[in-house]
Amino acid sequence: MKRARTPVTLLRIAIALLGLGIAALLYAFPLYWLVVTSLKTKSELFAATIHLLPHNATIEPYVSVLIDRGFWVLLKNSIIVCFFTVVVTIVVGLIITYPITRLAVPVRLRVGVLNWALSLRFLPPIAVVIPYFAIVRTLQIYDQPIALIGIYSLFNLPFAIWMLKGFLTEIPLELEDAAMVDGANRWTSFLRVLLPLAAPGIMAAGIIVFTFSWSEFLFALILTATPNAQTFPVGVQGLVTQFEIIWNDMAAAGVIAMAIPLALMVIARKYVVAGLTFGVIREK
Amino acid sequence: MSRLVAELPAPTDERPVRVGRRRRGRQERLAYLILLPALGTVFVIVTIPFIVVLIQSVTADDGSFLGLRNFTRALANPLFYEALRATGVYALIVLPSEIVLGLGFALLVHRTVRRAGLRATLYVLAVLPLVVPPVAIGVVARLIYAPGYGVLNIILERLGLIHQEIQWLSNPTLAMLSVASVDVWQWTPFVYLVLFAGLQTVPRESVEAAQVDGAGWWTQFRYIELFYLRPLFLLILFFRLADVLRVFDHVYILTGGGPGTTTQLLSLYLYRTEFKFFDTGQAAALAVVVLVSISILYSLITRVLPLERA
Repeated sequence: MKRARTPVTLLRIAIALLGLGIAALLYAFPLYWLVVTSLKTKSELFAATIHLLPHNATIEPYVSVLIDRGFWVLLKNSIIVCFFTVVVTIVVGLIITYPITRLAVPVRLRVGVLNWALSLRFLPPIAVVIPYFAIVRTLQIYDQPIALIGIYSLFNLPFAIWMLKGFLTEIPLELEDAAMVDGANRWTSFLRVLLPLAAPGIMAAGIIVFTFSWSEFLFALILTATPNAQTFPVGVQGLVTQFEIIWNDMAAAGVIAMAIPLALMVIARKYVVAGLTFGVIREK
Repeated sequence: MSRLVAELPAPTDERPVRVGRRRRGRQERLAYLILLPALGTVFVIVTIPFIVVLIQSVTADDGSFLGLRNFTRALANPLFYEALRATGVYALIVLPSEIVLGLGFALLVHRTVRRAGLRATLYVLAVLPLVVPPVAIGVVARLIYAPGYGVLNIILERLGLIHQEIQWLSNPTLAMLSVASVDVWQWTPFVYLVLFAGLQTVPRESVEAAQVDGAGWWTQFRYIELFYLRPLFLLILFFRLADVLRVFDHVYILTGGGPGTTTQLLSLYLYRTEFKFFDTGQAAALAVVVLVSISILYSLITRVLPLERA
């Protein structure tokens, strides 16, 4: 159906386009500026004019951050911490969600577990940072990756539980039943039937837990002190507060910090919103 | 093309798994056998810090019992009320801005963008800010607002709008707005995604019926769409409130709580009390106050929350 374009509709289209244009600019400019800045040479930092467009682009700041400042170690720490966080969170998440989705349990138990997980989502880390600091020092795991792995696993568990619950309930019970009728025990049917079917969902949950742990800053700031366990965001923060004047390095570090979650998210984009809203919003 | 929808729970008490009574008993036992060790461990790990912080809040550093002295000290401290105020102002700036902007875009895209490919692109673009580490956005914000090299001043100068640097981060009002703008940048897309998904659940027939009756876009929104979005607003409020209470990273990087204490949100204040002033007693008392208030807030808000639980 083609409608005649009256001046009023034209005006409306103009307003809509203007709104979208401004939004696009506000959305994209900060990211654009981060990337452009990260490609500037050191001499440009002290030049009289600042170029808004890429000018003599160089990867020098990236080399400076990763090699000269030794941030590759922090990158390695981040990857180790996030990887083990994902493993622990997903395994514990499956142990908790399997019985409440695949076995006949009272509804009360199911609701209780889910509510409890949800309430953890509301817990502000800052309120428990103080006791955790004391506990971690007592256990003598201060400045060690394992302290972060434990805490990140705990704080990501609510997301994992709710996401895995969503994926597991979607797989028909009959499939497992059929395997068990054919002589498989519960463990084999979990391993051979359920796990492969749930793999894409588990993968998505894993990616989301990975990116959340990757971004975490407060616990990493408080529970680490040296490159032995410091994660990448802590390093970025150090660049800002200590060497602020070298802002091309700062930008390069920012780009690196963003790159990994963004790349992962392109893979798991379908599940991000479901994860963040505990399954209320989902892709159909 | 798959599409994003909001799935609100239908009230149901149907048991998810139906089996015979005999098998049920066996399965239930197995369920407890798997659940109890895992839940027990997690529960202990979650609970220990609460006990530790309670003990810390009523003792001195040498372990002697102080009673409620830490609490009276924490609650008598004017900095606490400044932090509360800053948190309140922050929430009052970011929550309405994000909801209004997110709703505006959701309606705009819902009404004007019909191409599935474009909608999918917008979806990806909206997801990206949600996964950017707040620390990295803090860096971006410094590159924009910082004195000297901040690009916003440079652009405004080139456009001839200003002749003198604006002190984005050292003017109290502007500092709060700068800090809040980061939040709005990162989380408006989230509101957009949720409300856009909500708009997809509005039955087409009721909208068409209204249009036949001559309803304009406002009437259509006010009397039809708003009805379907209402539970989602609650949901957004719940998650955004939880996040506002934990905001730390980008403020720490951008202003560090300054100038003075104007952007010193509750989380930054607690951090400073413990790790800059090393006043564990007072910080622990504050943490207990925060935990108790949050539990109350949580129990109030979850009663009306439209989440699927069964």
